[in-house]
Amino acid sequence: MGGSAEWPTVSQTPQTQPNREKEKCVFEARNISKAFGELQVLKDVSFWIPEGEFLCLVGPNGAGKSTLLKIILGLLEPDTGHVRVHGKEEINSHTVGYVPQRKHFHASFPARVEELVAANLRGTWPVRIRAAEKEKVEKVLERVGASDLWGKAITDLSGGEMQRVFLARALVTEPNILILDEPEAGVDVMGRRELIDMLYEISCSDVLAAILVSHHPETIARTAERVLYLDRRVIAWGLPDELLGHAYLPAIADPRLKSTRYDDGVP
Amino acid sequence: MDWLTEPLSQAFMVRAMVCGAMVGGLCAAIGVFVVQRGMSFIGDGLAHAAFGGIALGLLLDVSTNAATWVALPFTVVVSLGIGWVLRSGRLGGDVATGVFFSVSFALGVLFIGLRPPDRPMVNIESILFGSILAIGEEDLIVVGIVAGATALVLIGTWTRLAYATFDPALAKLSGVPVAALDYMLLALTAVVIVVSVKTVGIVLVSSFIVIPAATAGLLARSLTRMTLGAVVMGVVGSTLGLFASYHLNVASGATIILTLGAGFIIALVAKR
Repeated sequence: MGGSAEWPTVSQTPQTQPNREKEKCVFEARNISKAFGELQVLKDVSFWIPEGEFLCLVGPNGAGKSTLLKIILGLLEPDTGHVRVHGKEEINSHTVGYVPQRKHFHASFPARVEELVAANLRGTWPVRIRAAEKEKVEKVLERVGASDLWGKAITDLSGGEMQRVFLARALVTEPNILILDEPEAGVDVMGRRELIDMLYEISCSDVLAAILVSHHPETIARTAERVLYLDRRVIAWGLPDELLGHAYLPAIADPRLKSTRYDDGVP
Repeated sequence: MDWLTEPLSQAFMVRAMVCGAMVGGLCAAIGVFVVQRGMSFIGDGLAHAAFGGIALGLLLDVSTNAATWVALPFTVVVSLGIGWVLRSGRLGGDVATGVFFSVSFALGVLFIGLRPPDRPMVNIESILFGSILAIGEEDLIVVGIVAGATALVLIGTWTRLAYATFDPALAKLSGVPVAALDYMLLALTAVVIVVSVKTVGIVLVSSFIVIPAATAGLLARSLTRMTLGAVVMGVVGSTLGLFASYHLNVASGATIILTLGAGFIIALVAKR
C-alpha cells in the first residue's frame, strides 16, 4: 500500500456528516493546516462534532492524527484555521478531557491515583486533597470501575488500570469533549475488552462528545457514531457502516501502513 | 558528649553548620525536581559553568567572595541557554548540558590564565572542593538571603512545578505555564549551585542536589513526602558530615557527600 492509485478518490467516499441544522455543535475544527518546514502535515482539515457524538479518527501512520490532536489540545499552533469548543477558542482541561497514548511521567515519580485525578481538577499538583475534591475523585473513579485503586502508586498500575485512571482524570472536570489517543495501547486482551465496554458506556452519553484515535476495528465498531478518515486532509467523514465496509478498512486496522502521497500539493 | 559539644563551641563550626543546613536543604528541595525530570547531569554542568563565572570575576579583579556576584548572572545565563536548546528540541538534555558545561569550564580556565601575573594567587582547590569552614558572617548573611528568596519562590510555585514535572503536556492543558516554569527551575538551580559551590565546591555540588532527592525518592510514596524527606536528608547529612569532618580532620565537602551517600545506600538496602 502507499501509492495514491490504490486509494479511492475523495468523490467516491462516504460523506454522511452530522446535520448542523438539527444537532448542537460542541466542537469545531475549521480549515486547519500545518506544515513543518516543507512537509505539509495537515491541509485544510475541517469537521465538527455534535453534542454526545463519539467520533473515531482513523488513518495510517504519518497521516497527521497526532498533529491534529496537539492542535486540538492547544499544544501546537496551526498555520491556519482554528479549533472551537462551544464556539470559544479557549481550550483547557475543563473544556477538553485528554487521555494520552503515551504516559510521559518519570518511572520513579511518586504519585498516587487520587493525586493524579485531583491534579486535573485543581490545575496544580495537590499537597493535600480537600473534602470537596475527594468526593468528586471518588465518584469518577467509581464511574470507571477503579474505586479499589485509591491510594495505589501509579507506577504499580497495570496497563488497563492505568488507562482507567487516566480516563477518570480526564472525566473529573466534566469536560465538553473527550480526546482519547489510542487508549488500547499497552493494554492486554482482557483489559482491552473491559476498556472497550467502558468506552461504549461513555459513548452512550447524550452530552459528552469524544474524539477517539484508534487502529482497532473492534473499538471503532463498538463505540463510533461517526468515523473521520484522515490522511493529511479529510478523506472521508461518515457513518461507521459506510467506512468499515469500505476500502479504507485495511488502513484503519493496520497501523503499520504509511500515509499516502497526493498530487495536489500535499506531499 | 564531648564529640557533640566541642565542635559547637567553635564559632566557625556553628557558622558552617548553619550554612550547610541552609544549602543542604535548598539543594535537596530543588533536587527533587531535577531528579524527577531526569536532569541529574545538569547539576554537574551548572557547577562547572559556575567555575567559568567565578573565574570571570577573578579576571575582573574582584575578590574570590565577590566573584560569586559575577558567577550568579553568568551561571543563570548558561542555565537559560541550556533551557533554550532543550526547548528547541534539536538536542537532547545531556548533549546541551555537556556542550555548555565544557565550554564554560574551558572559559574559566582561559579567564584564570589571562589574569595578570602580578595579581594574588587564586586558591583553585577551595573553588573546586569548597571551604565551608572558612564561611564568615557576611557570607552567611548572603547565603541566608539567597536561600530564603529561592525557598520562597520554590514554595510559591511548588504545586505547579510538580504538575509540570509529572507531565508537561497535561499540565499545560490545565493552564500551568510550563515553559516559564522550566526556565525558572533552571535559573533557580543555577542560583542554588553558585551559592552551594562555596560550601562543597564545584566537584561535589551536584551530589548535594542529586543524593538527598534520590534517597527520599526510594522511600516516599508522594512527591510532598519526597520533598520533605529530601530536605531533612540534606540538612541532617550536611550536619553529620560536618561533625565527621571535624573529628576526622578531613575536608568537609567530602564527609558531607559521603554521609549523604551512606544514607542513600541504607535506603537502597531498606527498599530491597
